[in-house]
Amino acid sequence: MNSASILIVEDDKWLAEQYSRVLLMAGYKIKVTSHALEAIRVIDDIHPDAIILDVLLTGSTAFTLLHELQSYGDTGVIPIILCTNLATELSLEDLAPYGVKRILDKAKMNPGDLEVALRSVLL
Amino acid sequence: MDGPLNDGLPSLVAAAHELKSPLALIRQLSLMLEDNDLAASERKHMLHQISLTSERALRLTSDLTQSVRLSDALFTLEPINPQQLCEDIVRELMPLFAAHNRDFRLLTRKHPLLLVANRDLLRRIIMNFSDNALHYAESNTAVEIQIGLLNGGKVVRLSVRDYGPALSCDVFESLRGRLIKASTPIHARPQSSGLGLHIASQFADAMNGKIGVTRHRDGSTFYVDLQASQQLSLL
Repeated sequence: MNSASILIVEDDKWLAEQYSRVLLMAGYKIKVTSHALEAIRVIDDIHPDAIILDVLLTGSTAFTLLHELQSYGDTGVIPIILCTNLATELSLEDLAPYGVKRILDKAKMNPGDLEVALRSVLL
Repeated sequence: MDGPLNDGLPSLVAAAHELKSPLALIRQLSLMLEDNDLAASERKHMLHQISLTSERALRLTSDLTQSVRLSDALFTLEPINPQQLCEDIVRELMPLFAAHNRDFRLLTRKHPLLLVANRDLLRRIIMNFSDNALHYAESNTAVEIQIGLLNGGKVVRLSVRDYGPALSCDVFESLRGRLIKASTPIHARPQSSGLGLHIASQFADAMNGKIGVTRHRDGSTFYVDLQASQQLSLL
């Protein structure tokens, strides 16, 4: 059983619920937020072991959050998994300096892919 | 393929992008349902979400089809009671709002109004605004439809108010400018292709009306202004 804490930043409530469902079954501790700005506050509070992040959020996008996280030593090392409909337009090579470890395509991923990706970045 | 479907119509890319989110969600939920370990109540809950998400995607495809037909079809304009139409919309969308923990209500008027519109197009506009409000409003808040008179009773305004994060000034200015002359998709939210508002703008235009947006500290109001019918005053 895994006890790592994961922050899900996703503004589609039902998709966030689906991610939570999968990860709770795998034993992770989950916190969900729908805005990048709120995510910054939550990250300060709970210091998650990894972040699952949508790119196009209501209000500020994921890139605001990525920049903010890189501004601090402790948050800059949190591994990030992007789950997005824009996967084909993003490059892991370009985003790696921002802590992005995996990019999952929402349209192609299977429910179990999230846990596989998390396991690989939490090694 | 990126390019207009027709003069002033949204691109195929915008349509594809807008449909991708609900389809991706339906796919995720369906794959999850193949897992036999889920409790019966959980399965029922997920099936309900699939059904509501499918309906939302189908509404968009239907609006898109209608918007393509605007250029070669004549739409009958008739006196319509907006109160009745909005009551029907609230009834139809209530399950979707309830499933998202949001209330949806019509602020009723004491005195009935009539406006001149095409029933189907007006219904689509309000459904569109409501869908936009649903996804922009905070949980446990209400989305409200309001009917009012402007310009000394010559114009009827139907508004859909949400309570959520305020639009930033730059987004608001850009949105307001685009609503004045909507020749391209209108981005109300970053994750949206803006297709819904673009189509709503076209529908309003076909009825000699216009759509607009008002920014509040705690949300937004999207509205459509249409000509009031003088029929009641003749009675």
